[in-house]
Amino acid sequence: MNAGDEHSHNVSLYLDNELRDQELEDFRAHLANCADCKSQLEEEHALADLLHRSRPLYRASDELRARVIATQQVSVSGHTPDRLRERVLRLLKQSMGASEFTVFPWRAVATIALVFVLGMAFVPTITRHARAASYVNTALTTHRRYLDGKLPLEIESDSPEAVTAWFAGKVPFDFRLPTSQLLPNDEPAYRQVGARLVNYGDSYAALVSFAMKNDRISLLVASSTSAEAYGGEEIISRGLTFHYHTKAGFNVITWTTHGLTYALVSGLHSSARQSCLVCHQNMADKGEFREQ
Amino acid sequence: MSLTPKGSPVVEAAAGIEHVDGLFSYALVLTRNRSEAEDLVQETYVRAIRAMGSLRAGSNVKGWLFTILRNVWFNQLRQRRTAKVVAMDGEEGAMDFAETAKDPYASYASKVEQEQVRKAIQQLPADFREVILLREFEELSYQEIAAILDCPAGTVMSRLARARAKLRTLLSAAFKTSDFAGKEVME
Repeated sequence: MNAGDEHSHNVSLYLDNELRDQELEDFRAHLANCADCKSQLEEEHALADLLHRSRPLYRASDELRARVIATQQVSVSGHTPDRLRERVLRLLKQSMGASEFTVFPWRAVATIALVFVLGMAFVPTITRHARAASYVNTALTTHRRYLDGKLPLEIESDSPEAVTAWFAGKVPFDFRLPTSQLLPNDEPAYRQVGARLVNYGDSYAALVSFAMKNDRISLLVASSTSAEAYGGEEIISRGLTFHYHTKAGFNVITWTTHGLTYALVSGLHSSARQSCLVCHQNMADKGEFREQ
Repeated sequence: MSLTPKGSPVVEAAAGIEHVDGLFSYALVLTRNRSEAEDLVQETYVRAIRAMGSLRAGSNVKGWLFTILRNVWFNQLRQRRTAKVVAMDGEEGAMDFAETAKDPYASYASKVEQEQVRKAIQQLPADFREVILLREFEELSYQEIAAILDCPAGTVMSRLARARAKLRTLLSAAFKTSDFAGKEVME
């Protein structure tokens, strides 16, 4: 592989978040001075942006969702999915085969009602999952756009108080960053870099950026009326439930407290517990993480 | 310490529902037939529920579901001996679109754009369609895609590069711009 091929190869790896550590640093340094790679990366981004705007490629129908949920419900209730499927198919065949135009189709109505009731029974769960997935996706997309330089910070400061003051009146919720509790000789695991507003739904969310030695961390904060923390691997600490998700090579941890929903995004290659411990080693020392 | 959630089976089973759009898209990419795709998705969940007991702590549930779907599909193909591929042109109008904008014109433009993307993807060879969907729409890593496709990560990367080049060509023709016409694909 010649140098040109290798750089082209690295553009793809960079675009797909497959470069790590020193390779990533080296390529970023190269990118800063290589017009060809910059141009190629822009082309790749244009295509990726177009494809990402088209997500999801197709959407499952409500009927399919109801079928899947009904399958799950019956399965965990001790019945086999095959029996459910056979029963539904039998009902459908009976209802469609009846003299539909001379007799009121009670069986068809009953079948539709059954599917509808099963579907409606799980609407709250579906809604929670959808809202939670949407928040995780927004946090992840925001983090990636920030890493790619498409979301410049609107305030650059390592002071939590300054960032708290900057957000006052800009976001539709009361948001306050905790002040540092480090002792004078403590070595911080991370430092605050700055913050900016981002769109979320019909309103705004707060994005706060932190830097670690080899990584960047984003904290997205939105009102819990519009954002939900749910699903994923769950960890309980100090009475809060943290939801840990991995997606596209990133960790996303979400939780809700005091009317706000938080999403912490990092590129750390570690477990949920290890991710939390990066900034909260003292909590592990006190045994404050426990399994659900 | 195990961090595996020990919730009720209902909660664990219902958790996979968040992937139903992705699985349905993957099923459509493979089958190119809506009815077959829906049956494939349902069969995937049926198999997943049966096998859930064997899922290890910390497993990648999403990748696991996509692997099941692919295996079910190729088993069905083998049983049929010949792949029954039905054009889905007549059915696409009935597909639900993902609403991305509230403004009517923006919504219309978005739908037109999405339609062009769908058409371009459907023109790709099957192995290119798969890798584009798994990477660009499902955001799976090379390693995760390699596990689903049962091939080396290097193959995923080279296939993805060729698929993107081909897709760029198709889309630039569709939009009649040079935005995506960076390189011609070498097949």
